[in-house]
Amino acid sequence: MAEIVSAFGVSHSPHAPEAVRKANGDHPLVPLYERVAQAVTETKPDVLIMFDCDHFSTFFLDNWPIFAIGIADKIAGPNDGTVMPRYDLKGHAPLATHIREHCVRSGFDLTLLQDFEVDHSIVVPLHFMPPTQSIPVIPIFINGFVPPLPSAERCHALGEAVQAAVELFPQPLRIGVMASGQFSLEIGGPKVRPGGRQGVPDPDWGVHVTDLLREGRNDAVVAEATFPRLQKAGNIGGELLNWIALLGAIGNSKASWVVSQRAEGDGFAVWQ
Amino acid sequence: MSVYALNKLCHRLLRDLDFRAAMQRDPASAIAEYPLTPEERATLLAGDVARLYEMGVHPFILSFLTRYEICGLTTDVYSERIREAHDPR
Repeated sequence: MAEIVSAFGVSHSPHAPEAVRKANGDHPLVPLYERVAQAVTETKPDVLIMFDCDHFSTFFLDNWPIFAIGIADKIAGPNDGTVMPRYDLKGHAPLATHIREHCVRSGFDLTLLQDFEVDHSIVVPLHFMPPTQSIPVIPIFINGFVPPLPSAERCHALGEAVQAAVELFPQPLRIGVMASGQFSLEIGGPKVRPGGRQGVPDPDWGVHVTDLLREGRNDAVVAEATFPRLQKAGNIGGELLNWIALLGAIGNSKASWVVSQRAEGDGFAVWQ
Repeated sequence: MSVYALNKLCHRLLRDLDFRAAMQRDPASAIAEYPLTPEERATLLAGDVARLYEMGVHPFILSFLTRYEICGLTTDVYSERIREAHDPR
């Protein structure tokens, strides 16, 4: 049987690859991603399940799923013009197919996605964590941007369903779960900073969320992440739903390591 | 219902380089064939991003207008205008 052996929470700014390159690697993000990459190396996952929100790159408003899963042997990106190297990742179609079947039977109607590329939110974290780049990836997309969003409880339950599916997979694979997303960020909306096209309207929210994760109060994260609360953190605040799905997949574990970058509205965490 | 057309138009700027260049050069001509209402057309050409937001254009997609400085929307101008927008929800 497959099992979840570790989990990781990261951010994915599309500006990060260029910022780090221009700083010759002397950048606050580098040690954070290195710490997460170290946990990947230590726990040796065979497959990474990534909870992610698509930024109108893989999907558009003509066809916009609440939940979707990528079932493919190869997944390339970025497909959104992010200035960074292009990556050709491996998928894991057998496990992804199994997860979808189990989830649909359990009441989570995951949209099937087979011929697709992914945006910066998948490939930026992997770019900074070389040990992840050879690991097959299964992206599970959650609508964090286009209201109505799925509820935090629903996303948590999706994570639980994914965990149950993993445990029923007959092959003894080691699974890592990754959540890619911000806690507070506004892009292009009224809460941008003066003179900017984005901003971090609620930096304390990110600190609070990481405090709860450090204390293992995962239930409180779910309970507090109502739609108005997420929107107060910005129109990208729904990316916390990726972290909440991760929490569903790992149960009540306390994070082994978690930090927040208050001014950036993001955080990094490891469960191992 | 043509808010969808506005969203699609803004999103097209990301990948269609010819369209992006046309929008930077002469936006009125570039959008001539788009199925927009007269109000939507005028609002877009005026760079009134607060009104476009209130009409329902998604802010992430709307911000492509300033990423490529379409219709006079430098970052400063965009920021000043969008911060005045009312949340339509």
